[in-house]
Amino acid sequence: MRRRLPSRLPTGRTIAEVRGVSLALGGTPILDGVSLSVRTGEVLALVGPNGAGKSTLLGVLSGDHAPDHGAVFLAGEPLNHWSPVETAMRRSVMLQQATISFPFTVADLVAMGRAPWYATTRADDDERAVQAAFETADITEFRHRVFSSLSGGERARVSLARALAQESQLLLLDEPTAALDLHHQEAVLQLARKSAAGDDAVVVVVHDLNLAAGYADRVAVLSHGKVVADGNPRKVLTAELLSEVYRHPVEVWPHPGSGAPVILPRR
Amino acid sequence: MSRLRSVGLIGFLTVALLVLVIVAAGLGQLRIPPAEIVGSLLHRIGLDLGPMPSHPQGDNALWKVRFPRVALAVLVGASLATAGALMQGVFGNPLAEPSVVGVSSGAAVGASLVIVTGVTYLGNWTIAVAAFITGLGTTLLVHSLSRASGRTEVVTLVLTGIAVNSLAFTLISFATFIANTSAREQLVFWQLGSLNGATWPAVTAVLPFTVAGLIASVVLARRLDLLSLGDRSAGHLGVDVERLRLTVIVVVALLVGASVAFSGIIGFVGLVVPHLIRMIAGPGHRLLLPASALGGAVLVIVADLLARTLIRNADLPIGMITSLVGAPFFFWLLRRTRTRQGGWG
Repeated sequence: MRRRLPSRLPTGRTIAEVRGVSLALGGTPILDGVSLSVRTGEVLALVGPNGAGKSTLLGVLSGDHAPDHGAVFLAGEPLNHWSPVETAMRRSVMLQQATISFPFTVADLVAMGRAPWYATTRADDDERAVQAAFETADITEFRHRVFSSLSGGERARVSLARALAQESQLLLLDEPTAALDLHHQEAVLQLARKSAAGDDAVVVVVHDLNLAAGYADRVAVLSHGKVVADGNPRKVLTAELLSEVYRHPVEVWPHPGSGAPVILPRR
Repeated sequence: MSRLRSVGLIGFLTVALLVLVIVAAGLGQLRIPPAEIVGSLLHRIGLDLGPMPSHPQGDNALWKVRFPRVALAVLVGASLATAGALMQGVFGNPLAEPSVVGVSSGAAVGASLVIVTGVTYLGNWTIAVAAFITGLGTTLLVHSLSRASGRTEVVTLVLTGIAVNSLAFTLISFATFIANTSAREQLVFWQLGSLNGATWPAVTAVLPFTVAGLIASVVLARRLDLLSLGDRSAGHLGVDVERLRLTVIVVVALLVGASVAFSGIIGFVGLVVPHLIRMIAGPGHRLLLPASALGGAVLVIVADLLARTLIRNADLPIGMITSLVGAPFFFWLLRRTRTRQGGWG
């Protein structure tokens, strides 16, 4: 079957969408009637307490979980309209933890991100895309090392580099900053911003509300499987909402320089 | 692994294999010098070059006994090593191997039932087809029993292997029990693994299975690399994971079934060879699979040569020879994996 190559969407268009999605895993309801759209040129942060359904929602967007109810769309079509390879041309995913079965080198692993483009016209870009991903994820210096010899933060950057090398217009990042130091946390979200500036759509699950506030165009707050707020971080990340969702008193001030919300739990 | 080194490895293994084919065909009770073997081969394809075997029975011995045996060794070795590398890829575990997890003995169940009942309505292929079917069933069983979120832990894999092997050997014992004397003798020797019965019909029966399996393995190689990332990540890169797993399992059963049908259980080839190749060439399946096929052929030719020349006038079971090397190797791998994982609780 011929693979349908993607065409890039202009900025501000819906590239992925979930409508009325509900999902139970092992009998426990995780998502309850969630609707959310992801637009090109935008960094969308998914935040919320543990167990709120952030990663599961990302899994629904990526096609890992089929919802019990509701519909999922990618690039204007129902997700199952696309074959696995066609889906991979349109969205890339970086997962929280990675284990690799065999001692592949970092360079091998990043090059695997080019797999969807094998035997297409875009395979000519392989070398350039991999090289660019090395530089962007700041892993050039250990590209000849074996994955198992890397630290947690280094591993996360390799997974990120693989997702970048895939060069799909939608990038789904599941807690990309969890294992990273301050410098690399900032670097990853700057990178998300940069991708969005080039008309990519980035969905990122983060725990650090200040990262979400500082870098996201839009924040969706999840609680008990529902989206309780969705919009500009300055409007959404309020002390009242966050205190209720996280069940802990939270204070929010505008940053004196940028005006972005600064969020601190009351101690 | 650079392109140059990959070509070098394949080239080295190919040359080693060709040399061993000539050497192995010449050694035995009747010694035939390599030049005469090459001469005999060239004459057979119509080239009037080189000396013919000087012994009056030489040419006959070569074409009736030695060549089919060496050819079967090549096919069986390539099949088993490729099957091992494929299984390791699909189980995400370097210890997965047809004889360890019970696929070989599963295939042997089908083959021994055919031997005992004397069913032949698929002619030459009857034993191979029966071995393929029970081998496939066993692989599916092991795969579904031992897998958790796309990977198989060592302990689970080995314990599943023990259970499956003991069940299979119970069935083989039953087949041996109900067999008549001649079938029983055939069964016993065949269980130990032997290329003693190699004939041209056996070679032609195995050949299509091996060729199909090797071609499939090359086609699947790229996707097996991606599978090392885990099921989810492989899926994110466009791999239809379930379909890939099922395809690999069928190919493994094809390769193991054909080998077991004509040579019995030759253990550990699929463990030792891919492991050594990975140590030299790295884990990429595009090189690992063809190099393992060549390496497996080399190993089984050498093992068979030892089996029939170590003791004068005796044809030792080849399965005994490969296990003598393979079992300690397996143990060493197991110890090493255990140290790395910090114990198994």
